[in-house]
Amino acid sequence: MDNPGESPSDKGGEPGESEEMRAPPGAPAAADPEGLPEETDGDGDAELKEAAAEESELKSQDVSDLSAVEREDSSLLTPAAKKLRLDTKEKREKKQKVDEDEIQKMQILVSSFSEEQLNRYEMYRRSAFPKAAIKRLIQSITGTSVSQNVVIAMSGISKVFVGEVVEEALDVCEKWGETPPLQPKHMREAVRRLKSKGQIPSSKHKKIVFF
Amino acid sequence: MAHEEEDPTFEEENEGIGGGAEGGQGKRKRLFSKELRCMMYGFGDDQNPYTESVDILENLVIEFITEMPHKAMSIARQGRVQVEDTVFLIRKDPRKFARLKDLLTMKEELKRARKAFDEANYGS
Repeated sequence: MDNPGESPSDKGGEPGESEEMRAPPGAPAAADPEGLPEETDGDGDAELKEAAAEESELKSQDVSDLSAVEREDSSLLTPAAKKLRLDTKEKREKKQKVDEDEIQKMQILVSSFSEEQLNRYEMYRRSAFPKAAIKRLIQSITGTSVSQNVVIAMSGISKVFVGEVVEEALDVCEKWGETPPLQPKHMREAVRRLKSKGQIPSSKHKKIVFF
Repeated sequence: MAHEEEDPTFEEENEGIGGGAEGGQGKRKRLFSKELRCMMYGFGDDQNPYTESVDILENLVIEFITEMPHKAMSIARQGRVQVEDTVFLIRKDPRKFARLKDLLTMKEELKRARKAFDEANYGS
């Protein structure tokens, strides 16, 4: 709650570090005009390492073993493809180093959390929207059934959305010199600010472009 | 009072789009109360957030979730496609885009891992 100077890539109050380090791998890849399939392939192994750290309950060892196998297979290609593959390989390795650093830093950070911070971090990580309710909501809009991917994507994005609103509301709260249990007036001011930034979609007013 | 003014706006938006799914006048069943509370605590709020704040957030989230696919429906294919939502959010929000990319690539990896795990089981 007392880190107002953090970069805008922060996801929330306490676990600010995690998002700061996670956003950079996302950003340079987003700027690449190489097309989505290329990116997914290139990022595959880097994201593997990240997935291994994040889903630690899930067979992380098997996953990291697989990454070695995958890398070997991918080197049997034509020269042109090989060149592209080399480029993505370098990027991949760089990203892997970044991810390993990130994982280590995260571990150090988490090990130095106080009890309350640990609690909060756990809540931040584990809270999620019930997929069934979201699926029902979306289906009531489209009228047809939707694929599972869409439900997962929407849940994830809504969580980010909640984070943005809460973070902004906490900023407002602090600015007005009041204490944490967020009150509706903070939330509404936060919504107003985000709306002016264009972060909250609203289709109520049709934009008139030329007049 | 300001509180009363805000709520009808949210209700009206939802009724227009959600139709009968959410029920009558303004008495929408609270879909996400528990999860939202956990989420708010995780993002920095107090351990017991106010019920009104949770309500406002829930209205916001429902509006967001209904808004996004609604817009996507009018773009490209007249159905529900994944990629459209993604492209939308690129324009709007780099943070959400990064999160979406992470989610999708992680899903890919988990699928790959699970498939290979199953094959390993088969082999042995």
